[in-house]
Amino acid sequence: MRRLLTIFGMIWLAATGGASALVTDLSNKRIEIRYSFNGADLILFGAVGSSAVDPVNDDFDVVIVVRGPEIETVVRQKQKIGPIWVNANNLSFPAAPGYYAVAASRPLADIASDAAFASYGIGFDHLPLLARTERGLAAPHPEFRRALFRIQASQDLFRQERDEVTHVGEGLFKTDIRLPANVPVGEFLVETFIFKNGSIVARNRIPLVVDKEGFERAAYDFAHNYPFWYGITAVIIALSAGWLAGVLGKK
Amino acid sequence: MPLYLPIAELSMNIFLVIGMGAVVGFLSGMFGVGGGFLMTPLLIFSGVPPAVAVATESNEITAASVSGALAHWRRQGVDVKMGIVLIIGGAVGSFIGAQVFTYLRSLGQVDLMISLAYVVFLGSVGGLMFWESVRAIVRQRRGIVPTPTPREDRHKAWIHALPFKMRFRKSRLYISALLPLGIGMFVGVLAAIMGVGGGFVMVPAMIYLLGMPTNVVVGTSLFQIIFVTALTTIFHSVNTQTVDIFLAVLLLFGAVIGAQVGARMGLRLKAEQLRALLALMVLLVCFKMGLDLVVEPTELFSVGEAGVH
Repeated sequence: MRRLLTIFGMIWLAATGGASALVTDLSNKRIEIRYSFNGADLILFGAVGSSAVDPVNDDFDVVIVVRGPEIETVVRQKQKIGPIWVNANNLSFPAAPGYYAVAASRPLADIASDAAFASYGIGFDHLPLLARTERGLAAPHPEFRRALFRIQASQDLFRQERDEVTHVGEGLFKTDIRLPANVPVGEFLVETFIFKNGSIVARNRIPLVVDKEGFERAAYDFAHNYPFWYGITAVIIALSAGWLAGVLGKK
Repeated sequence: MPLYLPIAELSMNIFLVIGMGAVVGFLSGMFGVGGGFLMTPLLIFSGVPPAVAVATESNEITAASVSGALAHWRRQGVDVKMGIVLIIGGAVGSFIGAQVFTYLRSLGQVDLMISLAYVVFLGSVGGLMFWESVRAIVRQRRGIVPTPTPREDRHKAWIHALPFKMRFRKSRLYISALLPLGIGMFVGVLAAIMGVGGGFVMVPAMIYLLGMPTNVVVGTSLFQIIFVTALTTIFHSVNTQTVDIFLAVLLLFGAVIGAQVGARMGLRLKAEQLRALLALMVLLVCFKMGLDLVVEPTELFSVGEAGVH
């Protein structure tokens, strides 16, 4: 909490000290996945500064986009073949974001037109998603694109029109960023857009890193870099645990 | 209390995991079975990716079989020579199974294969077991004593005709090595694709097909299962990195406690009743797996990372 207050104070100082730009900061720029990891909540603080809008008199809107690492993602569709349901069609997205969240100070439709969001590439519908086909990369079938959004949203990995940016006053704003337990590891980008009268007047971006740490990182690396020795270790652990269990079980 | 599993890449409640281990351990202690065919579906039903469930369960079965195998070993209940032949077959089968598993995983069809394998094998084994135990119960009520087959007539003619005969002293058998090799291989394939030890196939095959004396059947089968599931664990680790040691150890912890309680409960029930109950449970798991294949899913689409289920 103390750290938050410090950030908040520094941002406020930066914002009020003469003509200044948009600044933002996160309560935590490095999320560590450890054994007790069950998702993380971050707070983003920002100040519009004074170069683009007058923070006291102007009305402005804030849209914050958090984009996770790009991961090759396959969407599969089941079809009935004979009596059973089988994965029949699939579509591969070579670079779909593993996490994508849009938070805004008002409903997106009230902030700017759909065309404006499209030109800035804000919002899931405007993500430049391409699918791999036999003829190279192409626009994905809308049904698969919608399915990707629907499924990722149900897992809390895609969030849109769900998180709110609150105005604290004097050009300061904040929002909560929710990362679920199944969040992919990698480098994230947190982009902040200040809208006035339907168009962007200021923007900035700050990085965010999600990574496995300590024992979790070591175990994962071991399993992926030395899979044979990981397997041997798994067997040795199983044999000794089984033996131990047998000894204890007799008593 | 959530626990993040670094290989499965998901967060699970630690008490739920131990609890599942305990329930399956209880049942396996009561019925004297390995429990892989219950544990793997339970893991899948609780949201663990099927590929992780299968590979991790192989790891747990290795651990779960050690104490049983040691106990049988001390009682001279292991035919080592027969066990080694079964292991050689099992190694080949497990290798083939793991390759098929990896290939189908890249196609996105591994879940289907796991479900189909469960429906087919649990359906047939459960059905046979149920039929056999009901018959035994009915016979017992009517007071019919089945006439034991003489030892010389145990094998069908085609079994005697097979080449590469070997002598297995402990089992008092002189039969073709191809037969245990084939059985071991078949069980190895099942171990790799279903996350089971395969005792539910191997034990009947050893009794009815090989004609092994019952006092060495369970010990030898456990002996084979340790080695084959250990190999399967290594194959899956190398091919797909889906073995989660932490999940396996937690499941084992629950299973050890559950098995102690289950074994005591099992002593109070008659063998035929136990078998009929076990058969019903096998059929229930089979039914649930089959139902999930047949009923139209609410979400027809699924998302996976490339090359992953």
